[in-house]
Amino acid sequence: MKRLDAFFDGAARNLARRTSRRSFLGQLGAALLGGAALPLLPVGRAAGAAGEPTGNPEDCAYWRYCAMDGFLASCCGGSHRSCPPGTEMSPVTWLGTCRNPEDGRDYVISYNDCCGKDICGKCVCMRHEGDRPVYIPSRNNDIVWCMGDAGLVYNSTVAIVVGVASEDE
Amino acid sequence: MKPGTLVLVVGLMLGAPLPASAGSPAVDYMLECQGCHLPDGAGAPDVPDLRNTVGRFLAVPGGRAYLVQVPGSSQSALGDAELAAVLNWMVTNFDPGTASAGFQPFDGEEISTLRVAPLVDVEGVRRGLVSQFATD
Repeated sequence: MKRLDAFFDGAARNLARRTSRRSFLGQLGAALLGGAALPLLPVGRAAGAAGEPTGNPEDCAYWRYCAMDGFLASCCGGSHRSCPPGTEMSPVTWLGTCRNPEDGRDYVISYNDCCGKDICGKCVCMRHEGDRPVYIPSRNNDIVWCMGDAGLVYNSTVAIVVGVASEDE
Repeated sequence: MKPGTLVLVVGLMLGAPLPASAGSPAVDYMLECQGCHLPDGAGAPDVPDLRNTVGRFLAVPGGRAYLVQVPGSSQSALGDAELAAVLNWMVTNFDPGTASAGFQPFDGEEISTLRVAPLVDVEGVRRGLVSQFATD
């Protein structure tokens, strides 16, 4: 019993010598930071794919372009979600959904036109999934949405994820 | 820091942002209305601003029917119950003052009754209603 007592006494003193409350706080901090960083890992990102794209946004086959009709802003000096320099994004637009093959979920995509500069002419992309005739204007992708302040000249189109449309249970 | 607090903090950090559920009024607003009325309801040139306005129609005679019969509502791809939910969502989100002042929500039955009546002179009817808004 005395040996046992001496053993734990020694172990406790040893632990107290080697560590401090600060080191505990340091480790706690690392654990919290690690926890916060976990969703940023590739696995977490694929699950919440509204963030960075998987696939090539300069390719018409890219999942977000499922109902695209126009020139890809990403080939014209912009990106899949920002307009080329010298153009302005039309605030008024049309929206649809595309399924992200990475996670099988449907996302709401906003196809804003980039306006105010001549037609880009690169990376024409004509995919009409879910496209409806022009007499259903909110479901038709032939309409040029360059109107009002942004100028009437059409240049190219972006595809911005604005929400999740469905949960794949 | 208590252990319980730690669990809570880590849990919050690991939690993904809550996505809108399938077919929710928020998603229906995105797909059917947001293209012109914009995400915050601010509208655009020739597209009415919904903010602190949409609920004012409910206070004048014919205004409740107008919100249902206006082409953006009545001709949308939404079913009656879905349209009711979106209109309720719009009043609650874009005109919280009205929503808190005894707003009677729409339901599918009311929508189906009002929706079938066509609104021919949309702008004229709208002007008439707006002119009756209380000036405050």
